Amino acid sequence: MTIIDSNEITTAPSPAQQMRRRALRHWGFLIGGGVLGLIILMAVLAPFFAPHDPYAQDLSQRFLRPVFLGGSWEHPLGTDHLGRDYLSRLLFGAQISLTIGFVTALISGVIGTTLGVAAGYFGGRVDTIVMFIITVRLSMPVVLVALAVVALFGGSLTTVVLVLGFLLWDQFAVVMRTSTQQIRNQDYVTSAQALGCTTTRIILTEVMPNILNNLIVIITLEMAHAIILEAALSFLGLGVQPPLPSWGLMIAEGKDMLFFEPFLITIPGIALFVLIFAINLLGDGVRDVTAPENRN
Amino acid sequence: MQYGPAAFNTAKVILMLRFLLKRLGLAALVALTVSLISFSLLFLAGDPAVALAGEAATEEDIEAIRTQYGFDRPIPVQYVAWLTGAFTGDFGNSYYFNTPVIDLISDRLPTTMQLGLAGITFALLLAVPLGVIAAIRPNSLIDRFALFISVVGQAMPTFWFSLILIVIFAVNMGWVPVSGSGTWQHFILPTIVLGYFATPGIMRLTRAGMLEVLRADYIRTARAKGLNPAKVLFKHALRNAAIPVVGLAAVQLGFMLGGSIVIESIFALNGAGLLAFESINRNDFPVVQALILLFSLIYVLLTLLADLLNAWLDPRIRVA
Amino acid sequence: MRSTLLAAAAFAAAFPLPTLAGSDDNSLTVAFAREMDTLNPFLNTTREGVILSRHVWDGLVLRNQETNEYEGNLATGYTWIDDTTLEFTLREGVTFHNGEPFNADDVVFTMNFVADPDNGVNPQRNVSWIKEAVKIDDNTVLIMTDGPFPAALEFLGGPVVILPDQYFQEVGPDGFAAAPIGTGPYKLTENVPGESLTLERFADYYADGPKAIASIDTITWRTIPDANTRLAEMLSGGMDWIWQVPSDQADRLAATGRHAVVNESTMRIGYLYFDAGDRYGDTPFDDVRVRRAVSHAINREAIVENLLKGASEVVHSACFPRQFGCDTDVARYEYDPEKAKALLAEAGYADGFKIPFAAYRNRDYAEAMMSDLAAVGITPQLDYKKYAATRDQIQAGEVPFAFMTWGSYSINDVSAITSTFFKGGIDDYARDPEVIAALQEGDTITDPAEREAAYSRALNRIADEAYWLPLFSYNTNYVHATELSFTPTPDEIPTFYGASWN
Repeated sequence: MTIIDSNEITTAPSPAQQMRRRALRHWGFLIGGGVLGLIILMAVLAPFFAPHDPYAQDLSQRFLRPVFLGGSWEHPLGTDHLGRDYLSRLLFGAQISLTIGFVTALISGVIGTTLGVAAGYFGGRVDTIVMFIITVRLSMPVVLVALAVVALFGGSLTTVVLVLGFLLWDQFAVVMRTSTQQIRNQDYVTSAQALGCTTTRIILTEVMPNILNNLIVIITLEMAHAIILEAALSFLGLGVQPPLPSWGLMIAEGKDMLFFEPFLITIPGIALFVLIFAINLLGDGVRDVTAPENRN
Repeated sequence: MQYGPAAFNTAKVILMLRFLLKRLGLAALVALTVSLISFSLLFLAGDPAVALAGEAATEEDIEAIRTQYGFDRPIPVQYVAWLTGAFTGDFGNSYYFNTPVIDLISDRLPTTMQLGLAGITFALLLAVPLGVIAAIRPNSLIDRFALFISVVGQAMPTFWFSLILIVIFAVNMGWVPVSGSGTWQHFILPTIVLGYFATPGIMRLTRAGMLEVLRADYIRTARAKGLNPAKVLFKHALRNAAIPVVGLAAVQLGFMLGGSIVIESIFALNGAGLLAFESINRNDFPVVQALILLFSLIYVLLTLLADLLNAWLDPRIRVA
Repeated sequence: MRSTLLAAAAFAAAFPLPTLAGSDDNSLTVAFAREMDTLNPFLNTTREGVILSRHVWDGLVLRNQETNEYEGNLATGYTWIDDTTLEFTLREGVTFHNGEPFNADDVVFTMNFVADPDNGVNPQRNVSWIKEAVKIDDNTVLIMTDGPFPAALEFLGGPVVILPDQYFQEVGPDGFAAAPIGTGPYKLTENVPGESLTLERFADYYADGPKAIASIDTITWRTIPDANTRLAEMLSGGMDWIWQVPSDQADRLAATGRHAVVNESTMRIGYLYFDAGDRYGDTPFDDVRVRRAVSHAINREAIVENLLKGASEVVHSACFPRQFGCDTDVARYEYDPEKAKALLAEAGYADGFKIPFAAYRNRDYAEAMMSDLAAVGITPQLDYKKYAATRDQIQAGEVPFAFMTWGSYSINDVSAITSTFFKGGIDDYARDPEVIAALQEGDTITDPAEREAAYSRALNRIADEAYWLPLFSYNTNYVHATELSFTPTPDEIPTFYGASWN
């Protein structure tokens, strides 16, 4: 997602300055980051912005249309099948969808990074075992396994996040393994080893900081992946539990009226699309900005 | 560039065979592990006798079924019994249909396969040309457009895209049927949806591969020699850039087969994905269990195939 | 992308007129949600199977949907000889789809075959009451019940259909499921598993039976799991008939006038049950005041009026109001949140409580009830799962509070619902000896008035103690081509032999 060609930069400022300069000239990074920031802000400030209680139902006020389809400002984005304010649900839904993204990425990040770094750093038998675990994980059909587990244990925010977290760590492991392999034999690592530093310390102080940029890229990708998968689970009736308004659940609840009140799936659909789009732009941007040579 | 028939020699064949055996062993081990994991998961959830007994079953009905199917045995015993059967293609009977699981799956797998192959073909036809053009003209309008297509593909939920396509092309325009699998027209919409989601990865890889190859010495040399640019592009560059793309396409096909659940249930395509979804809803564990194993096996075999292809085509990969 | 969506939104208002494929060649295309587990009517556990069975087979009798009288179907008459013996006179000149003549041997074979538990009829309760059948002559049989069983005719007019003895023995149960044969108004000619069935009108069907002679020549019966896809098929003209259309969609469709939309009540009712009998453990529901509080907290009228609509009504006793023995004159809990709060405070739950809450269908109704409960301080924690998983947990005693529904298998007798849930079985969370005794009595005596009295005692006790909060009866919306003449029935078994193109 580079718009500029970084090779043109000829002065020799510090790497941090270089990075900042690249970031400020990278449209994808700026837009993605900006939009994501805005959505996060929306989610955090939902209690202040939301015109209504997102859970308050009024069965006599169902399927009111949004303002741009002839509705009133009382409910700017209309109401859903239980007469709940759609804008308020959308704002609070941002909290749920972002939480799913963050927490899933956190769980899978910890699992994947641990495995990947261990494999890359130690090599040999550890690497063989980790590679086997990764292959096993990759060969498991994600949607099918996630569905089966959620169906058996019941959908809830916790189940969904745990299931996705335990399924989506493969990219972390693969990329962290390769990145660690690349720097394992670098001077600063070997000299730290020569100085007798503990392995834990070397990994934390020498390895991790140098693979952080790749980690951030994978975090963004997997956040997006998790949010989309939760939406798919919700669509199949096995996502988070109502009345939590995740965007995926809003689409699932609105789909019954697909042919009559398409705004019910269009609004959360666009919100979801914009969120994933922004996260992906940001991820590509981070990669371009931190390591322009890896662009593909 | 030493690939193709010229590179055919006994030493390489032997190396390839050893590689193949090693990878086949690994594939078997992977499948075994997957089956163990899915078996434990499904049985953690309690006993399926209620699902088997149906809505109006009494306590006695359920108890009888529990003994009849051997759910009262320890889980490791049940696993070994299941695995022994699986080796001979006997995955037991479906709880719901009470017919052999293997028959159900072999009835429905062709639909999923057709859909998967159509999807990957669609993805390649869309992604490869776009990727090539994007690489020839980096940062051009087409490059941006290709990028846009790929980011949109990543950001749009499958089910949402499917519904929108149904509303526009099946209900409003009436160009294609809404659902079913009777004719080739029935496959148009599901193919587009399934294929579209494999497009971004393939396109990015084609573009990256092309960029790399175009920078390579032999291409520069060929160009410097004044060879026909189109010939250079297609005969040399694309051929080399295609190697990893073929691998990725095989892997994507594996993902697709395991991931067509949503699409099959929306378009009422009676394939293995829909069977999986319905079986999950019905607590029909033997079917779910067999399908997880089957999709894993397909994935493992496809990656193996991709690796073999890469190893055979690309002299740079050491097969030892 | 945005423009595509807006286009989609704009187009959605302007559907093309559906093409009327079916009326041209006198065929009918219908859609159902579920694939049947088997085509064998005695092993089939789905609603779809019940419907198919009604078309391909006949029972000895058939309940008239208007008069509730049992009319002869394959029989022309019946009499109770004593408490446990029914005598049937059989119809003459009837043949099965393969030409095999129907006679007393078929009836005797079928009854004795299904009554044997080793033959694995599912569900067993459909046949467990049959002791044996005896042939008197070619057109007369006796059916003996296993103890007094007053609901026998209801079963003989429903799930218990007659199989061809020669053909069945020739091909065996598996062969029969692969190519089923009956005496019904339609014969099954093609089966593409998971996709479609084809039914052809049986030309030699007897004209003077209660099912009369069918008009539609061919029925294409499709399986389409997704409700939106079924609706899309209807809108695009690829379908002539669908059902179970949610009320909101039905209202909108009715408003366009392009399809006929018919609403009919069903025997299914929704209910909340409470863990009153300590199956789950100590819960606030051990106190009857808490159960009554919940009953007062839920605005059933509003849910019926706004969400279920149609022919649905609020129900007060633990059965479908028109079922035999369903006494509706029991204690009622009107919507009164203040009273609910007062009862909660009295029981020591002034600040409310949290409670696990299970549900498996109509998530919107569940959400509406949760919202009502939240208003009096109770916080239900919803666990919304698929039916199989939910019922599994319930029967294991792991769910203290749930929103469930029951369709009584279309059996017009309270024994099919109240006795299922309150006779001390695995579904019984009340375990009240008084209720159990009353139901046991009602299930085994034959005098209708005495039965009604016994069931009334049980139902009153259930309502007084608020073991259940019966919620509402369900309805179903049938949507079909306007040119199709189709009459729905309250037993939730759509019958296409009564349908015709105008």
